Amino acid sequence: MRGHGFLIANYVPGNSVIHRAPLLLKFLVVAACGAASFLVVDWAVSLVVFCIMCGLFLLSGAGLRRLAGAIRMVAPIVLVIGLFQWWQLGGPTAARIVLNILVCVVAASVLTATTPVQDLLDGVVSLAKPFRRFGADPERFALTIAVMLRSIPFIAGAFADVRDSARARGLERNPRALVLPVFITTVAYARQTGDALAARGLGEPEDPLEP
Amino acid sequence: MNSIHFDGVSVHVSVDGSDTAKTLLHDVSLELTERRIGVIGANGSGKSTLLRLLNGLVAPSEGRIVVHGDDTVANVRRIRRNVGFVFTDPLSQLVMPTGREDLELSLRRSIKNSKERAARAETVLARFGLLGLADQSIYELSGGERQLLALAAVLAVDPKVLVLDEPSTLLDLRNRELLRRTIAGLDQQVIMSTHDLDLAMDMNRVLVVESGRIVFDGDAEEGVARYRMLCAAALDELPTSSRKGDVPR
Repeated sequence: MRGHGFLIANYVPGNSVIHRAPLLLKFLVVAACGAASFLVVDWAVSLVVFCIMCGLFLLSGAGLRRLAGAIRMVAPIVLVIGLFQWWQLGGPTAARIVLNILVCVVAASVLTATTPVQDLLDGVVSLAKPFRRFGADPERFALTIAVMLRSIPFIAGAFADVRDSARARGLERNPRALVLPVFITTVAYARQTGDALAARGLGEPEDPLEP
Repeated sequence: MNSIHFDGVSVHVSVDGSDTAKTLLHDVSLELTERRIGVIGANGSGKSTLLRLLNGLVAPSEGRIVVHGDDTVANVRRIRRNVGFVFTDPLSQLVMPTGREDLELSLRRSIKNSKERAARAETVLARFGLLGLADQSIYELSGGERQLLALAAVLAVDPKVLVLDEPSTLLDLRNRELLRRTIAGLDQQVIMSTHDLDLAMDMNRVLVVESGRIVFDGDAEEGVARYRMLCAAALDELPTSSRKGDVPR
């Protein structure tokens, strides 16, 4: 399997203001950006928020290249969405929707670029603790995030590998030759991941009787 | 207590969801007390099924398995804590983007304090000489480094038994040797399936599996010789045009 890109940036060690900011604050900013994408109706406001998020990302020291990388990963899909919305609802609405998506991507990248994964998972566990009373296991929330962080680049890599295989066989224009192997690889990967997690005892509820 | 018992263990699976059952393992009874046990046999012979039973990844259809006093079905949580499992492909095992993060993930259940967890991960990484690679993406590591990392992530929680399913299959000669030395230095009871007959020769005891049955159980040298004979016999059964050469040495 080849190297993989990811739609949000990996952790970049540093000591910036953003790195030192409380995790809860960073979570709230990401949540607020998500909520704002439903509330903001003016593309100019979205543009300002997008610029602020990009500024925060650069302030963290993660660099322009990583920022561009995060945006480049979602660019094709955002472009398709933007063109469709432009055709259906006009330029300002399309610009607002595209900018709102990019705001969410950059905000999530600010969070992941400035927070070690384990701290992120600890934060998820803390946030999920109130759900314990409903029988939920907070560690499983964290594990879900961990598996998600891992699975997206894997599937992206699987698609790239399958595309190369299809090209080598002259089948690059055959959608079945592209989609079906990725689907099968993904299912096999899900099963392997399940086995690996089970073998390591991850995701199992804690036994209060055990030390 | 420090032994593994297979008592009349069989594993059946349904074929394509039909009522027809295929038997992967036939009536296996064993007592494993040696520190290093090798499992060799052809592809599809039942080696992986035998190993997966030890960690509770596969449940026996008949019989029972007891690992260091714990039944693999009744005490599956304790089994998972006490029996570490290393897969053939480390990429299917490593869950997190970097080695350090994956090790810390292994430790989440046993160490709640994040600083203690980080310190323990650091110690384990240092023990396996992986500190320099700890923060690299797992995709940037070589096959051997990944396999070593997968091994370290499993050993981080200090299991009593280590099960390895063909750990050297994807490795080059240098990394295979590195893995061999690492395994030799472990305190745990090790049970390993392999196609690497040199690695099998290091074992205190070897089981040869053929068509879901243990056809040999004993000394490593004799076990490897028996496996070679089985391979030769299988080649002899092929049409002459399919034979490309002798049994690999």
